[in-house]
Amino acid sequence: MAGRRERKTFTERNLLIILVVMWVFLAIATGGNFSSWANITNLIRQSSINGVVAIGMTLIIITGGIDLSVGSIVGLSGMVFAIFTSTRGEFQFPTIVGILLALGISALIGLVNAVAVHDGKVPAFIATLGMMTLVRGVVMYISSGRMVTAVPLEYRRFAVLEFLGIPALAWTWIILAGFMMLVLKYTKFGRNLYAIGSNEEAARLSGINIRLNMYSFYIVAALFSAIAGLMLGTRMAAGVPTGGDGYELDAIASVVIGGASLSGGVGTVLGTALGALIIQTIRNGGNLLGVDPFIMQIVIGAIIILAVFFDQFIKSRKKGEGLKKLFKRA
Amino acid sequence: MPEEKTVIELEGINKTFPAVRALDNVSLSVKSGEVRGLVGENGAGKSTLIKIITGAYTKDSGTMIFEGNEITRNSPLISKGLGIYAVYQDVMVTPDLSVAENFFLGQQPKVGPFINWKKMYKESMEFLENIGLDINVRKSIKELSIAESEMITISKALWQKPRLVIFDEPTAVLTRNETKILFQIIDELKNQGTAIIYISHNLEEVFDICDTVTVLKDGATVGTYTTEELENVEKLIPLMVGRSIEEMYSKKDTEPGRELLRVENLSGERFENISFHVRAGEVVGFFGLVGAGRTEIARALFGADLLKEGKIVVEGKDVSIKTPKDALMKGIGYLPEDRRKQGIFLQQDIDFNINIINFDKVMTGPIINYGKAHSQAREYIDKLSIKIGSIFQPVSELSGGNQQKVIIARWLCKNTDVLIFDEPTVGIDVGTKSEIYKLFGEILSSNKGIILISSYLPELMGMSDRIYVISNGRMAGEVHKKDFSEEFLLTLAMKNIVSREKVKEAV
Repeated sequence: MAGRRERKTFTERNLLIILVVMWVFLAIATGGNFSSWANITNLIRQSSINGVVAIGMTLIIITGGIDLSVGSIVGLSGMVFAIFTSTRGEFQFPTIVGILLALGISALIGLVNAVAVHDGKVPAFIATLGMMTLVRGVVMYISSGRMVTAVPLEYRRFAVLEFLGIPALAWTWIILAGFMMLVLKYTKFGRNLYAIGSNEEAARLSGINIRLNMYSFYIVAALFSAIAGLMLGTRMAAGVPTGGDGYELDAIASVVIGGASLSGGVGTVLGTALGALIIQTIRNGGNLLGVDPFIMQIVIGAIIILAVFFDQFIKSRKKGEGLKKLFKRA
Repeated sequence: MPEEKTVIELEGINKTFPAVRALDNVSLSVKSGEVRGLVGENGAGKSTLIKIITGAYTKDSGTMIFEGNEITRNSPLISKGLGIYAVYQDVMVTPDLSVAENFFLGQQPKVGPFINWKKMYKESMEFLENIGLDINVRKSIKELSIAESEMITISKALWQKPRLVIFDEPTAVLTRNETKILFQIIDELKNQGTAIIYISHNLEEVFDICDTVTVLKDGATVGTYTTEELENVEKLIPLMVGRSIEEMYSKKDTEPGRELLRVENLSGERFENISFHVRAGEVVGFFGLVGAGRTEIARALFGADLLKEGKIVVEGKDVSIKTPKDALMKGIGYLPEDRRKQGIFLQQDIDFNINIINFDKVMTGPIINYGKAHSQAREYIDKLSIKIGSIFQPVSELSGGNQQKVIIARWLCKNTDVLIFDEPTVGIDVGTKSEIYKLFGEILSSNKGIILISSYLPELMGMSDRIYVISNGRMAGEVHKKDFSEEFLLTLAMKNIVSREKVKEAV
């Protein structure tokens, strides 16, 4: 059918084209180094931790909010796991208990975020900014600012596991992203997310329990950060006090490049995943080409701005308002 | 009194919206020191006319002469510069600034490059004291009550010394004492030679305060009369109404069936002691002036606002409704008054907008069956003959009328036993209106009940079997079809409103 889901697929298709063009260019420019299987799997693995954080961020941004505490939760989750399971520590709990504790404590942080934002009416930016600092402080305090090593063997091994030639970390991301894509599209939980993000009052008058849903979104977002923290922990084979520092910015960038709107109601997990891949491709490709890492930082910053710029441009042109509207907005 | 010269003169003003002729050759002229009442039913064109004077709308044709000069280009900024000041109901003062700053906005007193706060506070305080308002000028506007912030807007009219002041329903949210002050301000403005246009549904008030009254009906001027010549409200009402009930109200007489809903002694924030019932196959109308509390009653019944006390009985059983979800479970639906703010999910497609409350019917376990969801959306699109490209079109691309139909489709699909329509036809063209009325028949034929809230009397009288009249938060009466008349309903609607004469006596 013509016009079917036109707008949404539009963004995603464009992102895919951009990604393919970048890959082809890099494959040629690096003389095939970029396109080697080893590099491609490496690229996906490098994207995976940010990718998982960004799934949670997608949910929060669709609600019209933002979550700056995700990076600190990544650090907290890895550290909590390491402290409770380290074979040199005082607890020495089994791996599964460590995972549950890391997830549980992170979920609690998500709940506190939600209460502050929904019930306390604290703007999400401020509430999670405070939480970001608070949680990082907790991580530093419980670890005395030092790495916690001697985590269980099976935990460390996970980072080097492969299945069908693809790293387990990459699989984790792919499976979680695929799962959330389906959840957002095919469950009432997902539909409620878009309803609340588009028009909270209309959602309430449609019989949607706003509080319950908002709590769920923030808890789910924190859980994804917690999972990312564990993924980071397996790669570092330790709990790192600065782990996840600054991850919130990469996550937000991925979501925004992926076509989500910061005013809420718009965004997809697939778009976010493509956004995460684009960011990592620039880093990875720039590396291979020997581009100055500072220059790469400049490029990534510019791309974030351009992504939103073009999105607005296309939207206003579709409405027949053209550039005039765009510049008025700017 | 200063010499009476004409301040504003409108000649042959026409304005057409898509499918609606809002103003048809309207003329109006107001002299300095004259208080002119502008009355007419909702949709008569009062607001459109005001918006043309203030420049919010552009007229299609006709001339506007202000203090002897023809105004060809107009905008809210230009009209402000000319000295036209409008007091709207939805107060438009900057909420974060203090009261004092609001008075001095754009012309703050200065000491060198710095704002002279002391002077600002002192002068604005003295000014408010003078007119008898006890409001702390250091407070920000958002800390004030609605009535207080409206009084600020009103008193600014006196402060800025404009040539023409337009009051649009100024008293709806005011207390007696504030209304008294408003009338003093109007007297003061009059003495300064300001021309005043006064719009109100409260006709008693119009008689008290106005020198002359212009009546609008269906976008045309009926005439301009002095209040002496009209003598009383009873003579004014027939001029405003008296249109034959159009054929578009196609409600057939139906035999009401079993009782679906009964509420007893409902009390909430802005209403008290409301009792009514709805039977199957019947349209129950709710009439009242703006701010009478009709919407508040509906929202409280639907669980959207807090209900202080009262009993709700659905199909013979006492129920407790605390959230909209509870109401939905009990078979009560509500189409909100403000479609854009409370109804539509603008960023989403039509399919989403219809199905958001109807996924329950198409679930396979926890999974939405989109095949079924899409076909149920299409079914209701067809049923309401909504003209769309596809159900995956963003709802933002539809006209207001079609957006309203999409929301109606959402609720028809939900199939609740009692459906509350809150001003369903506001801002909707005549054709779509009559289609919406036809749908009522369909809903009723499946043994459902409808509550229709409307300020537009022809619509309410044409469609309802019974009308409850709410006046100032209280039930003013239940009127059966055989007793319907605009005069009677309007009289009831004003029943609990304090007579302005008493207010004046208290001055």
